[in-house]
Amino acid sequence: MQYFEKPNINFTGRRYLFFLISLISVVGGILAAIIFPPVLGIDFSGGSEVAIEFKQDIQTAKLRSVIEQSGIKGSEIKSYGKEGQFLIRTKKIAQVDSVLSNIIKSKLPTHEFNIIKVDNLEPKIGREIGLQAIFAVLLALVAILIYIAFRFEFIFGLGAVIGVFHDTAFTFTFIIAFNHLGIIDLELNQTIVAALLTVVGYSINDTVIVFDRIRENREKYKGFDFIRMVNLSINETLSRTINTVGTTLIVLLTLTLLGGPVLQGFAFTMMIGILVGTYSSVFVAGSFVIWYMQKIKKIEMKEFTGKDEDALPAKA
Amino acid sequence: MKKHIGKILLIVVPIIAAIALLYPTYESNRIGKIKSEVERLAKKDSTSADSLARIERFEKQYGEDLESANNNRVKLGLDLRGGMYVTLEVDVVRLIDESAQRETKDELFVQVIEATRTETQNNDDPVIDIFLKKFDKIARVKGKSLLSYFDVGDLREASEEKIIERLKDNEKSAIDQALEVIRQRIDKYGVSEPTIQKQGNRRIMLELPGVNKEDEMRKLLQTTARLEFNLVKNDQKIVRTFYKIDKLLAEQAKRRKGIIDTTTASQDTLLAVTDTTKNEVAQNDTTASDTTNAETADTSNPYAGLSEKEAQKRYMEDHPFTTLFLTFYISPGERSQSMPVNYTADAFPSEGDYNFMIYEPMLKKFNEILARPEIRSLIPADLKILREAKPDERILKESSVNAYSFFALKAEPELTGDVVTNAMATFDPQTNQPMVTMGMNTDGAERWARITGANIKKRIAIVLDDQVYSAPTVQVKITGGNSQITGMADADEAHLLEIVLKAGALKAPVQIIEERVVGPSLGEDSIRSGLTALGIAALLVILYMFIYYSRGGLVADFAVLLNVILIVAVLAAFQGTLTLPGIAGLILTLGMAVDANVLIFERIREELHRGRSLRSAVDEGFSKAYSAIIDSNITTAITAAILYFLGTGPIQGFALTLLIGIFGTLFTGIMVSRAVIELSLSKGATHFNFGQPKAIVN
Repeated sequence: MQYFEKPNINFTGRRYLFFLISLISVVGGILAAIIFPPVLGIDFSGGSEVAIEFKQDIQTAKLRSVIEQSGIKGSEIKSYGKEGQFLIRTKKIAQVDSVLSNIIKSKLPTHEFNIIKVDNLEPKIGREIGLQAIFAVLLALVAILIYIAFRFEFIFGLGAVIGVFHDTAFTFTFIIAFNHLGIIDLELNQTIVAALLTVVGYSINDTVIVFDRIRENREKYKGFDFIRMVNLSINETLSRTINTVGTTLIVLLTLTLLGGPVLQGFAFTMMIGILVGTYSSVFVAGSFVIWYMQKIKKIEMKEFTGKDEDALPAKA
Repeated sequence: MKKHIGKILLIVVPIIAAIALLYPTYESNRIGKIKSEVERLAKKDSTSADSLARIERFEKQYGEDLESANNNRVKLGLDLRGGMYVTLEVDVVRLIDESAQRETKDELFVQVIEATRTETQNNDDPVIDIFLKKFDKIARVKGKSLLSYFDVGDLREASEEKIIERLKDNEKSAIDQALEVIRQRIDKYGVSEPTIQKQGNRRIMLELPGVNKEDEMRKLLQTTARLEFNLVKNDQKIVRTFYKIDKLLAEQAKRRKGIIDTTTASQDTLLAVTDTTKNEVAQNDTTASDTTNAETADTSNPYAGLSEKEAQKRYMEDHPFTTLFLTFYISPGERSQSMPVNYTADAFPSEGDYNFMIYEPMLKKFNEILARPEIRSLIPADLKILREAKPDERILKESSVNAYSFFALKAEPELTGDVVTNAMATFDPQTNQPMVTMGMNTDGAERWARITGANIKKRIAIVLDDQVYSAPTVQVKITGGNSQITGMADADEAHLLEIVLKAGALKAPVQIIEERVVGPSLGEDSIRSGLTALGIAALLVILYMFIYYSRGGLVADFAVLLNVILIVAVLAAFQGTLTLPGIAGLILTLGMAVDANVLIFERIREELHRGRSLRSAVDEGFSKAYSAIIDSNITTAITAAILYFLGTGPIQGFALTLLIGIFGTLFTGIMVSRAVIELSLSKGATHFNFGQPKAIVN
């Protein structure tokens, strides 16, 4: 099977449009994050912990849906010791025990229960651990910059790292937007952080693959126009991009649709992130390098029309 | 065949290795299922004897297998499997009690402390506030102030506020410090990805995944690990104190006997309960009194002229305290023997050493007597009496009873555990007993040298949490700050001790107030639907790869599946814990593993398209794809490594699976896929379908 015989799409022709889209989303995302700060989950904000004992056993899923429907989102519900006993962790709610017992009394009137204990919880991930994680990610980005600069050129390293910021910020924009539109319940918790880290990994991987092809083609077709080469490289890796992203999307879409409420946020975030990562490696990363060469290094370049059949160089 | 042996091994060896590493996980699941079945049946058994027998049968048949399988299985984190849920409470009341000056504590203070303790059980307010309330109610009305009990150093600046402030500081720092110490202990014990959170005002909540030895864990959490080096003062002074205690108790008993005759009765019942031991002690006592009686017969024998039985009875009545244990005297000198001592008269040699030994059944009474306030005031304020941690081995072997030595120690320690910087569990080369060697910081080493130098031929007890682990006689001055603790029951205990000494002592003791088994934090429901979804997703990906890349796709599917199994197997071998963030890492890895295969196949297809022969297209495809695969994987590996070394908890779990996965990808994507394709080609095939539009036949 093959999607394209010999793709020859002009990806870089409208690069300024894509720059604009990216810029708006990233800046808009940062602004949105400041105006509507992300909803912090129990992991970061701490909360309350209530242990409940039911006379007859009840399914976790049922209990969860009852609690979620009553507007208490993102709680952690797990079995606790014996059958019919559950530990429910929610965000900080005043009088959490009576709130919960009212919910259960009204929604599950046939179930007898009593509350075993109520406690306050401090955040699982304190400020210190959070800062430490951010520091680790920043350090990792510096190391990537150095490695790619060493293997390719400085500008490619810079492009990859900017790509990571771009993809994370863009993904964040989507998460916040979807959360506020009420399409999906997303709270910033430990699993979302893991999903964002995965997005970082994918973003770098995708960008490196495209850059690798540019590096190779520059050697192979010495003297050809740089813009044409970038387009050629993106076109040549297009099948690969679609297949790799496609297989990953299959996994994440299945998890989002069938994985249950807790995994939904995790899989959805990753899915958005990977789509954004693919967009940036196809439409933005190469164009960024072109822009740098043209505007900063002042290298003369012929614009690629995309119609020109000569654009695809013959085999060297 | 011969020339392909390398390629075949490349495929077969990892499969075998993965199976071997994952077998314990399979076993652990299988036996675990049998276990829950047995437990279900045991609940239904009509008598408890039946169900106990059933569980015992299971333990006999599978117990060891289950333990070893559990130790080597893939561990699942709290989010996926759940674990041990423990709530610890920091004993702030005890902290307050201990901050008070020992010699000023009186009946009133004890009452305040007890009232505070009762109140804290139902009240989560800060303990200091409760304490102050109780203090006002009980002690202040009797004219006492905090200044009567607490010492703030500089007398001119002493004020109630200062004391309250200091107590509050102490409370806060004790809880924060407990959190930190416990975190370190858990970390050093090797539990990966625990949750440790402060709960309420003075509690610590822990969730620990994959703990097999709950007893060890309880011990690890509750050990205060207060290490002290105290001088042993088993001398004439303490024996005379014991003599005085006897006198006082006997007098009290006589006074009470005047009213009702109960003391002897209760003592008789106590002795009757402990039948075998009683005889032994009684025998020992008779020998004790016999020998000394013979020696002191001419001076003053209050029991002269009485029958042996009557004399013994009278002796026990007169010495209610010292008959609870045995006393031996060792005269100074090289080859002196240990002599039993009796307490008939206050005539104890001042030179030489005394030894004390008590049988386990007597301990309760012994401690109870020592705790009485009127007795406490008899014991010199600078001494404390502590027993040994481990029962005497010789007696245990001979008569299988637990007998403990106890010591009078100088209350003020010569040195404490803060100077210990390092500890290591090992075995004593001479006795082959477990021991822990300790290193000290420079300050500690200097002081240790001074202390040992000043006390040659004297005994120094090594005391941990108010139990004496050993009390060696100092032979030479010890420089360099090395010391050892012996007296552990086994190597496991020595290992625990190593951990707690390294993590440091707790400022205030902690107690487990709740312990449960909790389910996965993602919820059993989410995990079930998540697993189903992952299974469906895997099938879809396999199908997609086959449709797009045909036979090549199947090779990729095989390589990626092998990669998953290898990652999980290596994780099991590294004792890593799989959590949801770890699975995120796994998904990223799989994406990249599929990517590696896709890159290679796309290249092969390009080369085929250019008209190369199948063989050379495969070679060319692999070699051209290398640079992209390696560069993208190395950049990801750099990220993963940094996250692993700098991150904590979930981030580390993510990074670890990613890191293992990258090596797996490079291995399976480049080497195994290639070996499979080349093996098929070597059979003389001229056709291998990579899903290219038209098959190239040369």
